[in-house]
Amino acid sequence: MTEEVSAVGRAQARAQRLFDRFGRSLVTLCLGSLAVVVAGGLIQVSFGSYSMSVAEAWGAVVDTAVLLDERWLLKFLLGEGLMRSITGFGGELPDLPTATLIVWNIRLPRVFVAMLVGMNLAVSGAIFQAVTRNELASPFILGVSSGAGLAILLTLVVFPALSALLPVVAALGGTAAFVLVYVIAWKNGTSPVRLVLAGVIVGTVFQSLQTGLFFFAEDIGVVQSAIAWTTGSLTGTDWEQVRMALPWTIIAMSLALGAARQLDVLLLGERTASSLGMNVETVRFALSGVAVLAAAASIAVAGIVGFVGLIVPHMVRNIVGSEYRRLLVGCLFAGPALMVAADVGARLGMQVLVGSDGQVPVGIVTGLIGGPYFLYLMRKQEQLGEI
Amino acid sequence: MSKHAEPRPDATDAQTDRSADDTPTDGTTFAGEDLVVGYPGTDRPVIDGESLAAAPGQVTALVGPNGSGKSTLLKGLADQLDVDRGSVLLDGRDVHDLDSKELARQLGLLSQENVSPESLTVEKLVERGRYPHRGFFDGLSAEDHEAIDRAIDLAGVDHLRERELASLSGGQKQLVWIAMVLAQDTDVLLLDEPTTFLDLHHQLEVMEIVERLRDDGEMTVVVVLHDLQQAARHADYMLALNDGTIHARGRPAEVVTEDLLAEVFGVEATVSPGERGPRITPVRPLHDDTDEQVDSYSD
Repeated sequence: MTEEVSAVGRAQARAQRLFDRFGRSLVTLCLGSLAVVVAGGLIQVSFGSYSMSVAEAWGAVVDTAVLLDERWLLKFLLGEGLMRSITGFGGELPDLPTATLIVWNIRLPRVFVAMLVGMNLAVSGAIFQAVTRNELASPFILGVSSGAGLAILLTLVVFPALSALLPVVAALGGTAAFVLVYVIAWKNGTSPVRLVLAGVIVGTVFQSLQTGLFFFAEDIGVVQSAIAWTTGSLTGTDWEQVRMALPWTIIAMSLALGAARQLDVLLLGERTASSLGMNVETVRFALSGVAVLAAAASIAVAGIVGFVGLIVPHMVRNIVGSEYRRLLVGCLFAGPALMVAADVGARLGMQVLVGSDGQVPVGIVTGLIGGPYFLYLMRKQEQLGEI
Repeated sequence: MSKHAEPRPDATDAQTDRSADDTPTDGTTFAGEDLVVGYPGTDRPVIDGESLAAAPGQVTALVGPNGSGKSTLLKGLADQLDVDRGSVLLDGRDVHDLDSKELARQLGLLSQENVSPESLTVEKLVERGRYPHRGFFDGLSAEDHEAIDRAIDLAGVDHLRERELASLSGGQKQLVWIAMVLAQDTDVLLLDEPTTFLDLHHQLEVMEIVERLRDDGEMTVVVVLHDLQQAARHADYMLALNDGTIHARGRPAEVVTEDLLAEVFGVEATVSPGERGPRITPVRPLHDDTDEQVDSYSD
């Protein structure tokens, strides 16, 4: 064997071994997550207050009257107005069978919203875990949730006129809190510890204000609405929410994947990153911005869903390792899987358990899944915390 | 500048290779002029107006007692701490004017403590060293792969290539981190106490790599060493720091003297010329205020 051949062979063998270790586990993870999403989605479209048979529901999902008619698809994804201006179509859309209408107008969009929320939160959490170099960081570690929560309460209780803009106000509140955290943490630059501390400070104050505002809520409806928003709920989500979150999700996910290598280098610590020629402060702020964008997109459509952004990156890291390109791709699949599965519980759980039609906020289910998962980790792993 | 991955069979071979242009100082020049370096928020700078020049293509060791400012000086030289006054010149250009990635392509720095993500493999860590050479969306080029392989060979960690960092010993980790800095493919390399906390075997491994870099690649190396004997043996030039000022500089034989050991390190020691640099035999610590008492007890 000549030397060149053996060198090439060596490189190939090495690539093969690396693929065997992490590549295969990533593929398995993605396929498994996809299966969970499909299964969860099928359950979601099959059951609900309008009863139809499973066969009917699944038939409605693949109804060619919708799937092969770009007017319907454009209407769902871009809204009716844009659909009409793109296609130049002025008349009434053809009638659809009731089952198809229910599945496509009510049940499917909720599954899509769950997927978008799941991937945003998971990727956002993964980024914040690198930025703070702490495995226990979540998308809400830098004050985003408390800022959004305060904004939600202020809107519902003090400025009810703004209710229509609640999603935007919530997202802006979260972003404003994040900026405040950064300002507080800044002193000749920041550090992971100072950022986390500033997040705790802002979070505590905002949380108190938010709780205080509950006392001024006039009726139980406002309180319930506020609770649904601050624990995270997908009840009543629609194509409008898909349209709201989708563009920001695409932007945030592309930016995150593009920045995977920056995250990898940031994970080596500030000193090393800086000596490798990275402008650590700039990159850290930009990455945090991407993570906040993703978190804000999910808050705008579902409120503050906890634990997803914390446990999904953690779970994925255990399976595919800490290289960020793999980790983020894994999060893109595993996040939706957890969120869709949790929403099955949130939407249908009460029906199965107590036979009532009520739905619980999905954030309650993710919390119920997240807690035990961390208990399991705590028992199994010696060291939990630093990546 | 040329680099060779193959270890040389002996030193004379390297010398003949170098005689092509017959300058033993073919490496990149690296110097600091009138440096004032301190930490933000403190009144007094740690280093107050010192100048130094690293011998091009040679190993320069910074030595000094704890708190003498050697690590601070190194950070200032590496542009990791803002220099309050003075300038650092790399190949005649002020490092402050260089773009941070451009600087990282010419100047490597290995910090004293490093964060090793546990499940990262050795090869992936070394790959991170290519960061300054890659554009935002570039994949790994053939050149990158070559540099990674060369760095892994130079640091002698090929057998660890696919191991996860968590499974390595402290000494192995240090060699791997050196490989990462070598993948940066710089002309000047700064090392901050690369041998501290390592067992004897790995200390010698590290110093052997440093010498190989000088001999094969004509790399300009500045290394902070805690161990004076090690510096005396392996460095071409030495700078002894005391309380932020450079107390002595020159060849090890000129720098390492009994007087220096007493004044800078506060130890009574004997120094004798040895085959591999001056040999230091420490006798006892000197106490500033109790010198006379100790003397009176000594007989």
